[in-house]
Amino acid sequence: MPINRAAVDQAQETSLGGSSSVRNPALWLLAAALCGALALALAVGAMPMPFRDILVGEAAFQRQVLVEIRAPRVALAGLVGAVLAASGAALQGLFRNPLADPGLIGVSGGAALGAVAMIVLGAGPSAGPWAAYALPLAAMLGAMLVTLFLWGFASRYGQFSIVTILLVGIAVNALTAVGVGAFQYLSDDGQLRTLTFWLMGSFGRASWPAVLPAALAMAAAATPLFLVARALDLLQLGESEAFHLGVEVRSLKRRIILCAAAAVGAGVAVSGIIGFVGLVVPHLVRLLGGAGHCWVLPGSALLGAALTILADLLARTIAAPAEIPLSLVTSALGAPFFLWLIARARPI
Amino acid sequence: MKTRLCVAVLLASSWASLAAACETAKDSSRIAVAGGSLTEIIHFLGAEERIVAVDTTSDFPAPGRFPNIGYVRALSPEGLLSMRPTLVLGEDDMGPPAALAAVRRLGVPAVRVSETRNALGILAKVRCVAAVLNLAAEAETLIAAQLWPTVETLAGLGAERSDQPKAAFLLGIREGAPLAAGPGTSAHGLLAMAGAKNALQGFEGWKPVSMEAMAAAAPDYIVMGRRGVGAAGGPEQVLAHPALRSTPAGRRSKSGLIVVNDMAALGFGPRTLRSALRLASLLRAEAPAADADQ
Repeated sequence: MPINRAAVDQAQETSLGGSSSVRNPALWLLAAALCGALALALAVGAMPMPFRDILVGEAAFQRQVLVEIRAPRVALAGLVGAVLAASGAALQGLFRNPLADPGLIGVSGGAALGAVAMIVLGAGPSAGPWAAYALPLAAMLGAMLVTLFLWGFASRYGQFSIVTILLVGIAVNALTAVGVGAFQYLSDDGQLRTLTFWLMGSFGRASWPAVLPAALAMAAAATPLFLVARALDLLQLGESEAFHLGVEVRSLKRRIILCAAAAVGAGVAVSGIIGFVGLVVPHLVRLLGGAGHCWVLPGSALLGAALTILADLLARTIAAPAEIPLSLVTSALGAPFFLWLIARARPI
Repeated sequence: MKTRLCVAVLLASSWASLAAACETAKDSSRIAVAGGSLTEIIHFLGAEERIVAVDTTSDFPAPGRFPNIGYVRALSPEGLLSMRPTLVLGEDDMGPPAALAAVRRLGVPAVRVSETRNALGILAKVRCVAAVLNLAAEAETLIAAQLWPTVETLAGLGAERSDQPKAAFLLGIREGAPLAAGPGTSAHGLLAMAGAKNALQGFEGWKPVSMEAMAAAAPDYIVMGRRGVGAAGGPEQVLAHPALRSTPAGRRSKSGLIVVNDMAALGFGPRTLRSALRLASLLRAEAPAADADQ
């Protein structure tokens, strides 16, 4: 795996060279970029915002749209982007494979299966106030079931090796794809369209009552990921090397996989499948400031938030008052970048 | 006795909820419409000037006349509200629920109009929209003049004929299997209205049907939307398809295929009545091959 070795070399250089630090000025740059994205996303949208009137207490309707519709949406986009990118960075570090992403271990697929099952088997959109919560809960349940299965299978049959997790993830993805396909076959016309839109991702369901519990879940699940940066740096040297340098490799794997799964599951549950953020953002961050995880993890979170907010801004304004599916934007931007990465890694 | 009472109560409550959905809106001067048949009905009622935005399924009377708020199931709350509607009027499947909840929270009522896929269901839909728009009296005049005669004719056609022709409605033919309408689809309702028996009964919804299943269903007629026929490469290509060639419809060549305007026929607005009437007369223009032999 030439790509692999390149990343390891890079990781060794930066982590051993000590160029990564929390006081990295590039982090401030990314934080500034995030603030810029936030401001832009709050200012621009389908509804024109007369900010001067809003500040003096007029334009109550626009203020309500800003506070109750646009703000939670921007917040959710930022959170989910941060969580996807940070999880992607942690998983890429863990698998020592720069092409790993949260979809790889089957978590997104599990969430998709849960959501699709709820769309097809559950009550329709006119089924009362609880219908709004049924879909995210089902998605979260799907993500958790996949994670638990992954966990049980890998620890029982494979002594929890990285390759096992990766292969089982591929198999689980194939299985969830079968499940999604089966539900697509069972669905009626309307359900099929609903689930097609769901699978393409959107932050359009955001409201504060929906965002707050999701935000708590995502924050709680993702926080431990930021505490394992040093251990991930050492892991780039190889599993046994890291073990001899004092890293509890087994518990590290467990922590990262469970936390990433829970965080991504919570994110996917409220926003549907959002492609390429978890894969591409960590690469951008490494290009900006090296591969040390003290930099890559927070950097990915900041850049992931900023880019996802901007992608959502495009998705909701480009065809206003309609909106286009978010994954169209993220994949249209992410896929060419991904190809460029492969082309770039090839000669090494 | 007890169960009967229960049923009565249930019926009454369902009526009550139906009535509640069709209550006159406080202000229907600016309507965002999510659903092609509703746009059509508002046009039919002569209240088109109240529309401020429509969804992607609203292609009648003319596509592109109003700002587009997206697909009926994937509405954007901010997009909707940016058109400053006083009322959001949508089909049964309007969504997602979170978007509608947001719209309602900001004080804009979002009203769903339910759909029953038969002739009386279309009249009920028109009456419901008229009630919401406070045009009930005007609606009755229009219905009596333009819709009721068609409804009566359709009912008469259904009654006079005991041996209904068997028809299959296909959405399209892509790479092999034709995509056909089973029970529970709008096309199934259209066939029933036109006095035809749906040849495909074994499944719900739209499903690809194998060559064998199509041969077993033996439809006397194939009914297809204009777009599907165009995508398949014309009527000859459709009837020459291996899955259809061996059916009674395929054997009778040209008269075996009936092409309809999909949006008009399947939207279950006023135009669907006319589509059903036209379909009914075409189904009776030539007796099926089996009958002719006798």
